[in-house]
Amino acid sequence: MGRYLLRRLGFALLLVLTVSSASLLLTHMAPGDITSDQSLTLDPAARARLRAELGLDRPLAVQYVTWLGGVAQLDFGRSLLYARPVSSLVGERALNTAVLAGVALLLATFIGLPLGIYSGSQSRGVGRAVVRVLSIVALSVPPLIGSLALVFLAARTGWLPVGGMTSAAGMDSTWAQWLADLARHLPIPALALALPLAATLERLQSQAIEKAVHEPFVAASRARGLDQVQAVIRHAWPVSLRSVLGLYGVMIGALFSGSFVVEVVTSWPGLGRLMYDALKARDLYLVAGCAASGAFFLAAGTLLADVLLAFADPRVRSEEAR
Amino acid sequence: MNRQSRALLSVLLLGLVAFMGWRWWSSQQDHADQATQIVFSDASTRGGVLTSSLRSEPRTFNRWVDRNFPPELISQITQSKLIRINRSTQEVEPALAQSWTASPDNQTFTLTLRDAAWSDGTPFTSADVLFTFKAVYDPKVNSVLASSLQVGGQPLAVTAPDAHTVVIKYPGPFGPGIAMLDNLPIAPKHKLEAALTAGTFAQAWGVATPVNELVSLGPFVLSRYEPGQRLVFDRNPHYWNKDASGAALPNLDQLILEVVPDQNAELVRLQAGQIDMLQQQVRPEDIATLRPLENQGKVKLLELGVGTDPDLFFFNLRPERWAKDPRGSWMARKQFRQAISHAVDREAFANTVFLGAGVPIWGPITPGNQKWFSPNVPRYGFSIDKAKQLLAGLGLANRDADEWLEDEKGTEARFTLLTYRGNSSLERGSAVLREDLRPLGIAVDVVALEQGALTERLVKGDFEAIAFFFSSSNLDPAMNPDFWLSSGSGHIWNIGQATPATEWEKQIDELMRKMTSGTNQAQRKQDFDQVQKIFAENLPVIYFVAPRMYMGVSSRVGSMSPTILRPQLLWSADTLTVRATGATGQEGR
Repeated sequence: MGRYLLRRLGFALLLVLTVSSASLLLTHMAPGDITSDQSLTLDPAARARLRAELGLDRPLAVQYVTWLGGVAQLDFGRSLLYARPVSSLVGERALNTAVLAGVALLLATFIGLPLGIYSGSQSRGVGRAVVRVLSIVALSVPPLIGSLALVFLAARTGWLPVGGMTSAAGMDSTWAQWLADLARHLPIPALALALPLAATLERLQSQAIEKAVHEPFVAASRARGLDQVQAVIRHAWPVSLRSVLGLYGVMIGALFSGSFVVEVVTSWPGLGRLMYDALKARDLYLVAGCAASGAFFLAAGTLLADVLLAFADPRVRSEEAR
Repeated sequence: MNRQSRALLSVLLLGLVAFMGWRWWSSQQDHADQATQIVFSDASTRGGVLTSSLRSEPRTFNRWVDRNFPPELISQITQSKLIRINRSTQEVEPALAQSWTASPDNQTFTLTLRDAAWSDGTPFTSADVLFTFKAVYDPKVNSVLASSLQVGGQPLAVTAPDAHTVVIKYPGPFGPGIAMLDNLPIAPKHKLEAALTAGTFAQAWGVATPVNELVSLGPFVLSRYEPGQRLVFDRNPHYWNKDASGAALPNLDQLILEVVPDQNAELVRLQAGQIDMLQQQVRPEDIATLRPLENQGKVKLLELGVGTDPDLFFFNLRPERWAKDPRGSWMARKQFRQAISHAVDREAFANTVFLGAGVPIWGPITPGNQKWFSPNVPRYGFSIDKAKQLLAGLGLANRDADEWLEDEKGTEARFTLLTYRGNSSLERGSAVLREDLRPLGIAVDVVALEQGALTERLVKGDFEAIAFFFSSSNLDPAMNPDFWLSSGSGHIWNIGQATPATEWEKQIDELMRKMTSGTNQAQRKQDFDQVQKIFAENLPVIYFVAPRMYMGVSSRVGSMSPTILRPQLLWSADTLTVRATGATGQEGR
């Protein structure tokens, strides 16, 4: 197990380095740089001075090697856009994204998996049909439309704040009040993220359960006197988890690296928005930092999914042992 | 009903009960919030909190090195200038300078400073003014304001005989006179001198600066910055301005800028009463959404007039761009541009792109700029026949079986039009232009780019045609020389010419220099009318429609002086008021 974890850690580091390096180099190759939007107001000499101050006049190889040297010491450089260390900017926003992603993941799991088990274990019925239709609708609606629809619903009903992470009074309140305020702001963005994921999980879980209930050991458990629900939960579900957990790794990576559309529409101050702002401004180091963060979460998510799978399915443990 | 169905039903019922309970709890919270609000903003014209949206976050609080809108807006709210131009009347008003005298040649101004103090209580003196000019002119600072504080490329000479007097000498005659000083917010010497000495002024007052370091001379002082969420400004207790009754301004206790990057979400927040005003004008397609709320008395839809920064369309007129391109023989000719102007039905353009909320225009100065607008310019109005004649005169004809024109060498009449991605009026306008030129036999390939990429290609001259917009903060053309002068960095069709590339650009240069240095206002207007005529005949930039501008604002906001220049309402943030009665569950109050 120790060797396995080391191997995965090495893979994670390689992934982070490759993704962040590729982001930096691709951003560098795109037309323009951080000074482009001032090019109509600064004279060429002043712009050249500004580029030199920011180190953008150096050859790409020099910039990259310097940046790489910093990364080796866990220093991802300074944001050209905000003149702040990339790690502190990414850290702040990653925390906000993690709160949202964590809630969305829980929602998606607690909505998607039970519904998937239910619809997969039923051979027919109205309930199964309703769940299927709802899943297909949730999967078909683009994130932008889904987010806007939820925001619009919140605005029309007045039940929940339309956007933001906390209200303006939040900073002056006690911890309990702040948490209550955060809890009121979470449902809209979390649902916007969770609904399509829940639908994906439901579909996947449903198909996996459908297949698993026909396995001989499930039939054997029924023959030993277990009822349908117990047979599904105790025997079919753990086996069906293999394909579901495989998706979890990617899902965690995608959620925790920030959803640009949902964060923009619901004004959630997360990593997705930071990455978009960095890309628009051609802030090389911030783009690379955000990409590194996304890659880290993807690797961590995949690892977590693999570990969970090893616990859930004995066949995986035995494969690893070999 | 089997066991599974009963279990599912139970879960749903439990969920419903939990939801109803939560709704009840939330409604109790809302009542509690509203009760607090009424006490909080009981006074009808003083006190209270106003919330506006801000579409993008500031990269820095240092207005002297960043020209983007967020620091400009924050500067309007927190800083003061020696004089200010009233955005509604366009008249110069006293600000930190309570009075001034001008020399007979209108080149030397002696300003008497008022007794004022920074928000931390430090007295404001002439040393702050000297320091600000020193910082702006320091080459290491790379200030974006430096070029707007020069006359004929030379800086102003500033001296201070005493702590309350400043003498500013212009290096030559300058038509707008003292109005130039409206470009300069005053910087605090006691806070920023060390940075200037160390050569780090450009990095000072970044977004990570503790807010208590950001002292203010304006109506508000930044009290909290929550990255990605909002900026909270409290009343500056030392603000110098007073209202007509002598009461201290600002009227508001607090001003909040909520960061709302998405324009649709911004509109929804206004509808929901969670913000009081939009950052900038309402999009034409959103006017119909706000009308019902206006009828219900929840929102005011203010018509500001015709915009002064219309979308513009231009070809690359750098000779080197077309030197090896066979299309240069006709694409860089003014007859080609006139034909394009003839091909576009501006009324239809206004209806399609601005949903009717626009007026046809023929040059860069729109009827919204009443002082400088000239209606007497050549107009190349909608006429397909005239367009075809002009194109035929350039040797363009359909020489093969397809629908496009070709020149005598067989080169197709086709060009690539670059525009901003995500700007709805520019994207729609470009599509309309493509369709309007199709019947003439001219093919247009529209490519939408990100702002940075487009600007880069513009500056490098790597384009054929661009649909674009400019935003100006001053209506006097003399304050925008970079656009008009052939040597200017904003002379977008052929930037930074060493000598004028064409005779008509030379004429415009001469007229602009004359009107910039002239002190007789009638003569200045006459000279600029002539500039507009030459411009409209040669069409280096083609204008089609200027939008009518509307602002959406909550009906609880009062004492507004709306203007077409941005920030349309917050430029006079010190006099704005809010009523408690119109508040509709606005959070955080």
